Amino acid sequence: MLFKDQVDFVRQHIKKNKLRVFMTVLAATMGCAFLIVLASIGFGIQDTMREEILQDQAITEVEVYPNENEELNLEEIKTVPYVGAIVQRTSMDIMTSFHLENRTIQGNLQLTDIKEEEQSNLKLSEGRLPQNESEIIVGYHFAQNLWTDAERAKVEEVGEEEDLPKGYEKSIIGKTVSLSLQPYDSEEAFPEQWDFKVVGVTDNPAKDWIVDQSILMDKSWLPELTGAYEANEEGIPEDFTYTTTKIYTSSLEHVKSVTKDLKDMGYNVYSVSEQLEQIDVFFMAFKIGLIFVGTIAILISSIGIFNTMTMAVTERTREIGVMKAIGASPKLIQRLFLMESAWIGIIGTVLAVVISYVVSYLANWLLPMVVGAALGEDGLEDLSITFSLIPWQLVVLASAISIGVAMISGWRPARKATKIDVIQALRQEL
Amino acid sequence: MIQVKQVNHTFLIGKKGKEKKVPVLKGLSFDVKQGEIVAIVGKSGSGKSTLLHTIAGFMSPEQGSITVNGQETANLNETERAAFRLNNFGFIFQNFQLMPGLTAFENVELPLKLKGISPKKRKASVGQMMDKVGLTEVGDHYPNELSGGQQQRVSIARALITNPPILFADEPTGSLDSETEQDILLLIQNLNKTLGVTFVMITHDEEVASIAHRTFKMRDGELVKEDVL
Repeated sequence: MLFKDQVDFVRQHIKKNKLRVFMTVLAATMGCAFLIVLASIGFGIQDTMREEILQDQAITEVEVYPNENEELNLEEIKTVPYVGAIVQRTSMDIMTSFHLENRTIQGNLQLTDIKEEEQSNLKLSEGRLPQNESEIIVGYHFAQNLWTDAERAKVEEVGEEEDLPKGYEKSIIGKTVSLSLQPYDSEEAFPEQWDFKVVGVTDNPAKDWIVDQSILMDKSWLPELTGAYEANEEGIPEDFTYTTTKIYTSSLEHVKSVTKDLKDMGYNVYSVSEQLEQIDVFFMAFKIGLIFVGTIAILISSIGIFNTMTMAVTERTREIGVMKAIGASPKLIQRLFLMESAWIGIIGTVLAVVISYVVSYLANWLLPMVVGAALGEDGLEDLSITFSLIPWQLVVLASAISIGVAMISGWRPARKATKIDVIQALRQEL
Repeated sequence: MIQVKQVNHTFLIGKKGKEKKVPVLKGLSFDVKQGEIVAIVGKSGSGKSTLLHTIAGFMSPEQGSITVNGQETANLNETERAAFRLNNFGFIFQNFQLMPGLTAFENVELPLKLKGISPKKRKASVGQMMDKVGLTEVGDHYPNELSGGQQQRVSIARALITNPPILFADEPTGSLDSETEQDILLLIQNLNKTLGVTFVMITHDEEVASIAHRTFKMRDGELVKEDVL
C-alpha cells in the first residue's frame, strides 16, 4: 500500500469519529502542554539566575586567593593554559581624597597594572586607558559624587532620601584631580598632594545599585604613596595594603579548566563557572523532577489514546477481517493503527507546543505585573525576570515523550488488530 | 490448479478443560482445474465453509495438504499467506462484506491499493471493472445506498479487480431475491467464460450449483458425491 493511501485510510477513519478523536487529541494536548509549561518554569528560573550571576561579574573572570601566610606564584599561574591577563589590584588602608576645583570625593583608590587591565578587556564608557603614570581612570559615578563642602553638608543634614547633588556636571575627561591621603584616625590629611589627569571613565555597572567611585592608577605609585605614609606616621602597619587577584581566561569555555588547574595548585579559587555549575546541578535535578511530573500527565492522557484505539479496533473488527481476507498483511494492519495513534500524538503535541509558547509568553508578561501589584511595588516588570522559558531542547524532549507515549498506547490495540481471526470477523453482524 | 489431498480437521467444542473433539473435515481429496466452476454443496454443518476457509488459507488443516498453483499454502506464514491471497484469490461473500465508509468505487479499488498500484492506473482499472459488472452509474454511492444485487456486483468487481486466477464464493446469492440471483449467476458464468476465472462456490442452493461444471456434495465432513455437468 502506498504511503499516501495509508494516510488517506487513517484520515478517513479519523473523520468518521471526529468527536472521539478530538477529545483524545485534547487530552494529549493538555498532557503535553502541562509538561512543557511545568518544565519551562525550571528553565525560566534557571535562566534568570544565570543572568543575575553573569551580570554581576565578568564571565571570564576567575578570582584567586592564596592560602593563609602564603603568596600567589604568578609565574606558576601564567603557565596554566588559557590564562590571559592576571589583574592584581592593590588598595591601601587609608582615606584617599581626590579634589577638583572646590569639589572633593573619597574614592576607592586601586593600584594596578594598566597593561594587564587592557588585556583583561577593561571596558570604558568614555575616554581611553592611561598611557603614562600620571594618567588615571575613574569610576562611572566618580564625577557625580564630586561634591562641594556645602553639598556634602546638605546631604548629611537631610539624608540621602532627598535628591542628591548632581556633582561635577562637565566632562571629567582631561581634568586634573589631586590626591591627598589621610589616615582614618587622623583629623588632618598629609601635606603631600599628587596631581593626575583623568583620561577614562569605566563602564556603567550592570547593577543599578552599584556605585562605582573607584580610581585606577598605575601600580608604580605604590612605593611613593606608602613612603608618604611612612614619612608622616610611625611605620607602616601590618595589612596596610590589600591585594585582590583576578585572572581572565581567553573565553568562557576555558573558565572551568583554569579554575580546576588553579585548585589543583592549592589556591582558593572562585569563578562564575563554579557558581553556574552549582546552579546547573540544582536545576538539572529540579527540571528532571518537573519533567517527571509532566510525564505523569502525559501517561494519564495516554489512557485516553489507549481507549480510543481499543474502541477503534473493536468497532472495525469486521472491516479488519475483510481487509485481511482480501490480502492485507498483518504488518500493514498494525501500521495503519499505529499511524492513527501517532497522528493523535503528533497533532496533540503540535497544539501543545503552540499553546505552551502562548502560556509562557503570557506568564512572562503578566506575572511580573501581578507580583508587583501584590507586593505593592511599581517597576517590578522592569526587572528582567523570566518565569517561563521554552528552549528547543524542551520542545524536542516533550514531543518525543508525547508522541512516543501515544505510539506505545496504540501499540497494544494495533497488535490486537493483527490477531483478529478472519473467520470470526466475517461472521460478525453488519 | 487446486489439489486437496487427504485433508482432516477437528474443532474443539465446549468449556475449557472439558472440550470435545468434533471432526469437521474427514480425509477430503479432490482437484479443481483451471477455468472450472466448482460447487461444493451440502447442508449446514456439513463442513463446506470450513473447507473453503482452509483452501483460502484463513486456517490451516490439521492433516493433509492443499496446493494452489503449485504452492503448498500450509507452509506459508501469515504475511506470506496474505500476499498469496492478494495475488491469487478473489472473494465473494454471502453478505457482501463491503467497507461501509467507502464508496462503491473505493471498495473495488481497495485490493489495488493493497497491491500498491498508482492512483492513475487504479482509476482506469476500476472504471473498466465497474463497467463490466454494470455499476458505472453508482460508483460514488456508499454500500448502504445500493440494492443487494448492486452490493454483490461491487463485491464481485472487488474480487476480480486484481485479475486473480481463482475466485471463492461463499453463498454468493444467499442474501438476494430470485431475480437478482439469476443476474448474479449469469454474471459469474459470463466472467468465467470471458476471463477464464476459476470459481469455487459453496452453496446449499441447487439452482446456484446448476451453473457449476462439477458439484461436490458434502455430508458430515466427507465428500459423498461428485456430479459432472
